[in-house]
Amino acid sequence: MPSPVRQNSAHRLAAGALLLALAALLGYLESVILPPLPVPGLRLGLANIAVVLALAMHGPRVAAVVSLGRVLIVALATGTAGGPAFLLSLAGACAALAAMVLLASAGPAFSVVGWSVVGSAAHVTGQLLVASLLVSSSVPLALLPVSLGLSVPLGLAVGSTVRLLLSRIPDLSLSAAGR
Amino acid sequence: MTRGDTLVVVAVVALALLSVPGAAAMLAPAGDAAILSSPAGSTTVELASPGTYVVEGHVGRVVFEVAGGEVIAAAADCPDHLCVRMGAAAPGRPIVCAPNGVSATRASGGEGLDAVSR
Repeated sequence: MPSPVRQNSAHRLAAGALLLALAALLGYLESVILPPLPVPGLRLGLANIAVVLALAMHGPRVAAVVSLGRVLIVALATGTAGGPAFLLSLAGACAALAAMVLLASAGPAFSVVGWSVVGSAAHVTGQLLVASLLVSSSVPLALLPVSLGLSVPLGLAVGSTVRLLLSRIPDLSLSAAGR
Repeated sequence: MTRGDTLVVVAVVALALLSVPGAAAMLAPAGDAAILSSPAGSTTVELASPGTYVVEGHVGRVVFEVAGGEVIAAAADCPDHLCVRMGAAAPGRPIVCAPNGVSATRASGGEGLDAVSR
């Protein structure tokens, strides 16, 4: 298995496409199988498993493709592209990605668990900010304490899953940049 | 978890706790009314008067029901029905349908005195 620096563009492209498909599938399964949580903007975030994996294995560029690509694919598949739901998803994805990349660039002090927690918190914060703009009121921000509080266990669950994947699957762990 | 991860968790929890007073301040004190907001504007309804209110949002309708001194989202056109699952609006916990641009917040009915000055 090549190390991250030796990965050629074909390998990176294939891995990115695989993770993008995984993210879209997990996001779809979550929306179909699991009932939405009774707080707007809050989900288990199963699709974020693929994004955190991409960030750990291939860096911020592939993670951005996986994260934003998933939002676009889901929007096209559900016919919500350009609508309010799409804007909410995009805001959450961008905020989460930016926060996770920032933490990942800080070095080994933070593991994938920390990335996931900060990504989860940034995701709900970004969504509530855009929701406030859509509603033209600060009312959605009143949900911030509940959403931020619940984002911690959800982020820990996703981060722990990614850490488990990176440690248990040899092919993944060999090319992982952070754990 | 690394020490950095623990710091992240503590920071997010602290942020959640610190945002409680701000969130409470954003909401009008709970009273005998609810404010139903939509892209077209907002209206105040008395919780003592049972009734059904249909609010048009960006992507569909949300039907609010006032009964027993509470307001709930009884039905919505959206597929997820998150606002319907939220239950009754409570102090600090408004009903929000963000994609629709619709919300319901507990508020004062405006009938009482706000202050007394001499």
